Amino acid sequence: MIQFDNVTKRYQTGLDALSELSFAVAPGEVVFVTGHSGAGKSTLLKLVSLAERPTRGRISINGRELTRVRRGGIPQHRRGIGMVFQDHRLLTDRSVFDNVALPLLIAGTARSEIGKRVRAALDKVGLLSREKAAPVALSTGEQQRVGIARALVAKPPLILADEPTGNLDPQLSLEIMNLFVEFGAVGTTVLIATHDLLLLRHMRKRVLVLDHGRLVDDYRPEQT
Amino acid sequence: MSGQARAAVRSGGDEVRERRPRERASLGERLAAWRDQHFYGLFSSLGRMVARPWASTLTILVLGFALALPLLFWLVYDNARTLSSGLREAREITLFLQPTLDEAAAAAFAQELRAHAGVEAVTLRTPEQGLAEFRALSGFGDALAALGENPLPSVLVVTPAAGSNPDAGGLLGALAADARVDLVQYDAVWRRKLSGILHLGARLVAVVSALLALATLLVIGNTVRMDIQARSAEISVMQTIGASNGFIRRPFLYAGFWYGALGGAVALLLVAVVELALAGPIQALAASHAGGFQAHGVGLRGALVLVGASSLIGWLGAWLVTTRHLLAGRPQ
Repeated sequence: MIQFDNVTKRYQTGLDALSELSFAVAPGEVVFVTGHSGAGKSTLLKLVSLAERPTRGRISINGRELTRVRRGGIPQHRRGIGMVFQDHRLLTDRSVFDNVALPLLIAGTARSEIGKRVRAALDKVGLLSREKAAPVALSTGEQQRVGIARALVAKPPLILADEPTGNLDPQLSLEIMNLFVEFGAVGTTVLIATHDLLLLRHMRKRVLVLDHGRLVDDYRPEQT
Repeated sequence: MSGQARAAVRSGGDEVRERRPRERASLGERLAAWRDQHFYGLFSSLGRMVARPWASTLTILVLGFALALPLLFWLVYDNARTLSSGLREAREITLFLQPTLDEAAAAAFAQELRAHAGVEAVTLRTPEQGLAEFRALSGFGDALAALGENPLPSVLVVTPAAGSNPDAGGLLGALAADARVDLVQYDAVWRRKLSGILHLGARLVAVVSALLALATLLVIGNTVRMDIQARSAEISVMQTIGASNGFIRRPFLYAGFWYGALGGAVALLLVAVVELALAGPIQALAASHAGGFQAHGVGLRGALVLVGASSLIGWLGAWLVTTRHLLAGRPQ
């Protein structure tokens, strides 16, 4: 699903955010990316979503070489990715329903289909009763769950999450992570950047450990 | 939508779900989605303007005044043009004869002129006829009666032969040189001046319109630009979740369209108020004008052209600033 071959990303400041990074993620796999801050976790996710281009190396997503995706093709590429952010980035002037519906609206889904799929997504994150609420009226954990519903509503084959539990207490974090693991169980590939080591230990999933832009460990609990 | 229709749509949706998810939707579905997106842009942009009534009203009023000005200029010009077209058709040369010349001599002179090649017709107006006419038109009847004797000379109205130019053919010079003629009044000179003034007026209308169209473009562009800045976080979210530039641009384009259209409507309203305020004096002026001049307003066609043009300008202004923003701002 995700294939990195000797990927290096050097920013204009001369900093190597990632160097010689190679790894592969299979479809339906749930993979955590961890490391100290500045280790390159966010850069890795940005390369996948084409917010940044690699300086060297090849990345392919879902069998598609990303260097072949031109600027005009970036929106289309991103529609195949559900994005979850630490600060959830909801649109505060719209209801929960409208926020979750946004990716479908962008993709040009039929109106009758939108209502059904938005409710299905909200149901999955346990917020079906709050569809008319404004995002600011929700708790932080609920807001993050709305962000997750928005990421999964268009049924993308890949979900990227950048520190999705950064602002949540351990109990809520666990709930959120379990949601992601559930997506993996239905065939969605999930890539989660986090520095919450306790949580990682608890999840018993594959972990890519980055240190100064280098992959220092690829930990697979099932094999040990 | 009726309950039945909704059920039908729902069952149709289930069929869609059973297909492979990557399969492309049918043309009809895509057209419907496209239409939905446009309706969404049209009404969400309007909703946003309504949400900030004070700022939106101010902007629209500014636009209204900016658009009303060239419209008023044009109205004045167009009415002046209509008024002058009646005058332009008058080809007659008016000869005021020497007061000493009696009626018989005037008639003989008229007969003499009728023989001239460049002349089509000659009408004689005796001092009595002139007096009667003057009395009826000017309202100075009593003053004239106090005068005792008729001060008016005989007048010959000479119609030059069709197609001839009395100025070039020497007719005018010959008439002016004739001892029996006191004064030659020929409107060509005056008409040339008038047509020059009208030409200047047309140019003035064009220049003022162009300047104020540019002002409209800038006002709308700047308003939309501020709107974009206020929503730059939202735009970046949309870009990260795969919105195309067209999708992001659309509500702003519709906002520009609304500003233009509503500004145009306000301009029409302002012009209507001005027309109403001036209606009385114009009526009086038109009534005193012998040509049966009728002042006209903007009219349906003018109104449509104005609102159409201002909407287009608004759309264009919004397009320019959104394109600039999308080119300058890179998504994160």
